[in-house]
Amino acid sequence: MTDILASLSAFIAESSVRELVIYLLRNVPGFPPIIQTVHLLAIAAVMGSIVFINLKILGVAVPSQRLSEMIQRLLPWTWWALLLLAISGVVFIIARPDKYFFNPVFGIKFALLTPAVLFAWIIHRKNSSEPGYWEVSVLRRVSARAIAAVSMILWLGVMMAGRWIAYYDYLFWPD
Amino acid sequence: MPLDEFWDWLQNTDLAFAIGATWWFPLLESIHVIALALVVGSIVMVDLRLIGVTARSYALTRISRELVPWAWVGFVVATITGTGMFISRPGAYAANPAFQTKLVLLALAGLNVVAFHTRVMRGVEQWDTDALTPASAKLAGLISLILWIGVVLAGRWTGHLN
Repeated sequence: MTDILASLSAFIAESSVRELVIYLLRNVPGFPPIIQTVHLLAIAAVMGSIVFINLKILGVAVPSQRLSEMIQRLLPWTWWALLLLAISGVVFIIARPDKYFFNPVFGIKFALLTPAVLFAWIIHRKNSSEPGYWEVSVLRRVSARAIAAVSMILWLGVMMAGRWIAYYDYLFWPD
Repeated sequence: MPLDEFWDWLQNTDLAFAIGATWWFPLLESIHVIALALVVGSIVMVDLRLIGVTARSYALTRISRELVPWAWVGFVVATITGTGMFISRPGAYAANPAFQTKLVLLALAGLNVVAFHTRVMRGVEQWDTDALTPASAKLAGLISLILWIGVVLAGRWTGHLN
């Protein structure tokens, strides 16, 4: 696994895409904070879509909105935000692959992100094929609440871990 | 200058020293990220309804009554965590042009909220449930959107200059 990461990291380090990113870093004033702001605004979109859907399922937010309608209206924002997060995130990785591929916090972030995205997809998918799916029976309402509670913890963990990537040496001292 | 002395004193308090020298700083910073996402995430939903592009089947006053309190929760948490980071190096932040810009943009966002309540919301009952909102509402929503994006950018830029 480490070998694969090392060769992937080396491949990126030698690719011409990396030259482009380095060129932009050196020649566009404020390139890092601008890309990070795109990343942060997309995180805000995740907060305003899937996180609020989870809060609605848990019964703590937007009481007058209808869950089924919210899922249809807001979840596309989550998917577009994730695309934007991936694009802006890849720019950071290309610039400094070693900083990410050998970073345990980066691994933790994606270990939390994968199930979080999967849960969002399940919520979206079921509601698309049968609007109101999560509200029609006690079992489904309870399942939705369980998914929402776990998702909340996962998304907050992803956001925390994202910022801690830069500070991993506070958590994992190099040997 | 007395203000410089105050910043020096503040930076040398036990609390400020603990934040600057330990994992407290990244902890506050990561909570700040979550808080700002909550502020922007909820405010943008209200702004987009004001502009008239989303959630048009809901009355504006309902959207705003149910979402603005979440923005305030985020704002209070962001202010507390932000103040914590600020006191770790107050003199440097106060002199940081990105940080100064951020404070100006926040003040403008505050003025926009006041103008919104005193001008746009007066008479809201005439168009509250309309899908199409008046020009003044669209303008207030657009200004808010631009200012908050600016706050995030200036805030993130602050870390690159300090």
